[in-house]
Amino acid sequence: MKASLPVTNHMETRPDIDPTPEPKKKLKKVNKGFKQLAVYIMLILFASAFVVPFFWLLSGSLKSSSELFANPPVWIPEVFQWSNYKEAFTSFPFLLYFKNTLIIVFFTCVGAVMSNSLIAYGFSRIEWKYRDGVFILVLATLMLPFQVIMVPLFLIFKDIGWIGTFYPLIIPHFFGNPFFIFLLRQFFIGIPKELSESAKMDGASELTIFLRIILPLSKPILATVVIFQFIEAWRDFLGPLIFLSDNRLYTLSLGVQQIMSENDPRWALLMAVGVAMTLPVIIIFFFLQRYFIEGITFTGSKG
Amino acid sequence: MKKIFVFLIFLLAMSITMIGCSSGTTSDENENTGDSSDSSSSDNQGGDGASAGSFTYWYPWGGDSETWDEWRMEKYEEETGVSIDAVYAPPDGGLSNGKLLSAISGGNPPDLVISNDYALAYGLAAQGALEPIDEYLANAGFSEDDVLEGFVPLMKQEDGNTYLFPQDSNVNLLYYNVEMFEEAGLDPDQPPQTIEELDAAAEALTKVEGDEIERLGFIPWLDAGDGSYLWGWVFGANFFDPENNQVTLNQQALIDTYEWMDGYAQKYNPEKIKSFTSGFGGAFSPDHPFFTGKVAMTVNGNWFANALKLYSPDTEYRVAAIPSPEGGRENATTFGTNVFLVPKGAENPQAAIDFALYGSKQDILADNINTWRSISIWKETTDAIEWENDHVYDMVLDVAASSNSGHPALTSIAGQMADELMSLRDSVIYNDNNVADLLQAAEEKMQKEVDEN
Amino acid sequence: MNTERRNLRNGLLFISPWIIGFLFFTIYPLFSSLYYSLTKYNLITEPEFVGLQNYRELLFVDDVFFTVLGNTMYMIFVGLTLTTIVTIFIAILLNTKDIKGMSFFRVVFFIPTLVPFVVLAILWIWILQPDSGVVNSVLGLIGIEGPGWFASPKWAKPGFILMMIWMSGNMILIYLAALGDIPKTLYEAASIDGANVLQKVFHITLPMLRPAILFNGITGMIAIFQSFAEAFIITNGGPDNATLFYSLYLYKNAFQYFNMGYASAMAWILLIIALTMTLIFFRLSKRWE
Repeated sequence: MKASLPVTNHMETRPDIDPTPEPKKKLKKVNKGFKQLAVYIMLILFASAFVVPFFWLLSGSLKSSSELFANPPVWIPEVFQWSNYKEAFTSFPFLLYFKNTLIIVFFTCVGAVMSNSLIAYGFSRIEWKYRDGVFILVLATLMLPFQVIMVPLFLIFKDIGWIGTFYPLIIPHFFGNPFFIFLLRQFFIGIPKELSESAKMDGASELTIFLRIILPLSKPILATVVIFQFIEAWRDFLGPLIFLSDNRLYTLSLGVQQIMSENDPRWALLMAVGVAMTLPVIIIFFFLQRYFIEGITFTGSKG
Repeated sequence: MKKIFVFLIFLLAMSITMIGCSSGTTSDENENTGDSSDSSSSDNQGGDGASAGSFTYWYPWGGDSETWDEWRMEKYEEETGVSIDAVYAPPDGGLSNGKLLSAISGGNPPDLVISNDYALAYGLAAQGALEPIDEYLANAGFSEDDVLEGFVPLMKQEDGNTYLFPQDSNVNLLYYNVEMFEEAGLDPDQPPQTIEELDAAAEALTKVEGDEIERLGFIPWLDAGDGSYLWGWVFGANFFDPENNQVTLNQQALIDTYEWMDGYAQKYNPEKIKSFTSGFGGAFSPDHPFFTGKVAMTVNGNWFANALKLYSPDTEYRVAAIPSPEGGRENATTFGTNVFLVPKGAENPQAAIDFALYGSKQDILADNINTWRSISIWKETTDAIEWENDHVYDMVLDVAASSNSGHPALTSIAGQMADELMSLRDSVIYNDNNVADLLQAAEEKMQKEVDEN
Repeated sequence: MNTERRNLRNGLLFISPWIIGFLFFTIYPLFSSLYYSLTKYNLITEPEFVGLQNYRELLFVDDVFFTVLGNTMYMIFVGLTLTTIVTIFIAILLNTKDIKGMSFFRVVFFIPTLVPFVVLAILWIWILQPDSGVVNSVLGLIGIEGPGWFASPKWAKPGFILMMIWMSGNMILIYLAALGDIPKTLYEAASIDGANVLQKVFHITLPMLRPAILFNGITGMIAIFQSFAEAFIITNGGPDNATLFYSLYLYKNAFQYFNMGYASAMAWILLIIALTMTLIFFRLSKRWE
């Protein structure tokens, strides 16, 4: 909150600040070009800071072992060691783990979209008593550290015979996630009430309104939910580790470590799997990003 | 908008095709579980070790070690007809991350786990999370007398029962750079044997140019020296008195240990040392400070010799036993032992122990030993080991057989005590705090933990 | 009256998945952990009731607990604040009109959040290597001697903050989305009044971003409270306990020290701290209105 405090002061002193005198019109165009250039330079600076570690991963995955540890660092390997990838994929059951990961990712995405949109509808488009109180409860559940409920959860799943299956990783996603409920609720609130009301006049039920009116309008935010859920399930490590007890059900994020031997970790191969796990998501994100950003709303002014 | 749906449909299609394949594996798994519950009863009665059946086995390693373990399992399956359901459980057999504890408390444990963290395994046994294995060992014809003495205390708990079974072990040695020794006017045939000699050699080997460190002779907390128990053990400390259930940290040997370390810290600035010596990739990269010549001596495991061969073949080095102070433990090491354990509630403990015994046989381990110079736990040796006249392996065997070598701090709280000692050491070397006061506080804290357990 | 009841029924029906999930996957585990927090429990033998002992020990005896709390608060007050400033700045840049290749830039900032944890941890050990790491090499080029990062008790936390900023793609996206919500007319009006860029940022953009800052602040705080994978792999809490964060200590207590009861008590204290801080965030943001 430190960041916001100075801002608060600025806000309070706003009336004291004199608006700067109007600049000359001629300068404006030059100014604009100048501004754009400045934005570009800063963007490129920041972007390189963000991309360098990933570039390092990428180049590391193509290096020979002597290049990996060269000092000063080698940025672009002399010969691309594509064999690192081949070796990485064959040193653990990549395809099997990839398949398992996809299954989990797919069903959790479906679960997240289905359950959270229903729930968010109940928290935004229907007025009922205690609604906002219950919603605060939803937000409170965001704070639970997984480690604490991990063991009791394990016991529940064990009692219903789910340990060693994908169910513990999938089924809970069909029962809502506070983060998604919040995002969707904000979006739904922004959809004009009149749409629902006129449908109600025509005798539509809440479910019909939800399916026919709200959902079709909500694709951008649903895309957001899909992406976030995708990434979460794609990277999850502790969940699969605890709940899966069969190598054949393992996911990629668990398998990555299998490359490392205590007595001979193969760094380049590890980097290769890291790249292989990251690239597909980057591509998906690239295509979905526009809807993704459109979808998130805080003020409810979109729709 | 369409793209989202195209993407979802693509995902769906992928998943459906793949579920087709995966349902096969799921049913396999069910069959296996069925097998194991069926066979467990017959196995327990039969107990002649050769009975067919199946059991679940968790192992922590990937990479080469995994390949080796797979080879061992396959061989065992072929020879005995037992089927092994092996599960990769990083990083230490699921001990440190709750995987194993959850499975045990959920009544769904594997039959056998191998872990590279013996201290945590010992703690688990003390907590009552493991099955005593004496009966199964006896059934399989095991005799304690065949095992090197250094390993027996680790296997047992206060109640007299056996809970852990070592597969193999590693020792720590002093590695030193021959060329640097000669250059500094030291005799490479006379490696330091006492702490004074070590300090003197370190001093002679260190090169500091103004404010810049060029080379350090020795750093106590590098490599294996970073372990919480190694130097205390070498200095003669007993961290725990099992007879009286007393934590004994505030003792002269430990005060000496940490004050000795602090001497290095005050001389060279611990942050600088750590920055100077930290190399990405540790011992398995050409970056290791011993390979790059940043340090002239270091204490490390037997496997380090193979790392040297792989990443720094040109470094001329030799090994010696870890130097010790007067009144300390001469010719000693702390072991790095891999242990088998059978969790409480395991369905087929006999099959598990049969495999554990098979797996610790020297001729099975030979491949492992011949690469990493690890040691077997048995007194008798086998011809399958190829390290005859190897200077390093001679030293390894010498140190391993030494009565001063052992597993320190065998208590239920070994893991917590290790963390406590680590932060104590950091508090000493980074902040130059009073050692005796810190040890007293740590002792009280740990004693409380012991009393509560 | 009739409508009210129907709405109540419909509302509950719509949120029923959450109610079921809440009961089974939250309330039940939560209350078992509340019970465990009042016991001595190692997960194997039966829990033994000890009353408030775990809480007393945490709050009045265990000095490591306060180190841990301090480390975590440092990450929230220093780390999250810096991350917030950087991410808002980047989002504002990304929101500039008429910039080509914007979708490319957006992807760039989001990439780091996609790298798996194990790889990420190893990557950063490598990058922040004091001697030959990329960061210190670059700093060396401009004549600065880089610090020891993870090797130094003083610089280890800043190292984690760098990582945190690098992985803040989610926050950038949320700010970006919120920026898109700000009506253009506000800026136009300000331009007519002759406001410069900074004035616009402070008088229009930041106040309009308030809900997003609040949201990111709360989720970011929770993420910091819960994160442990990176510290677990990179430093395991060292050097000198400088990176022993809340979740890491909780985790060690639960699974390595066999003190599930103690860990559960830590979790409940965490829950109370997180709820209190959330309330404070809300209050602050209200006052700002």
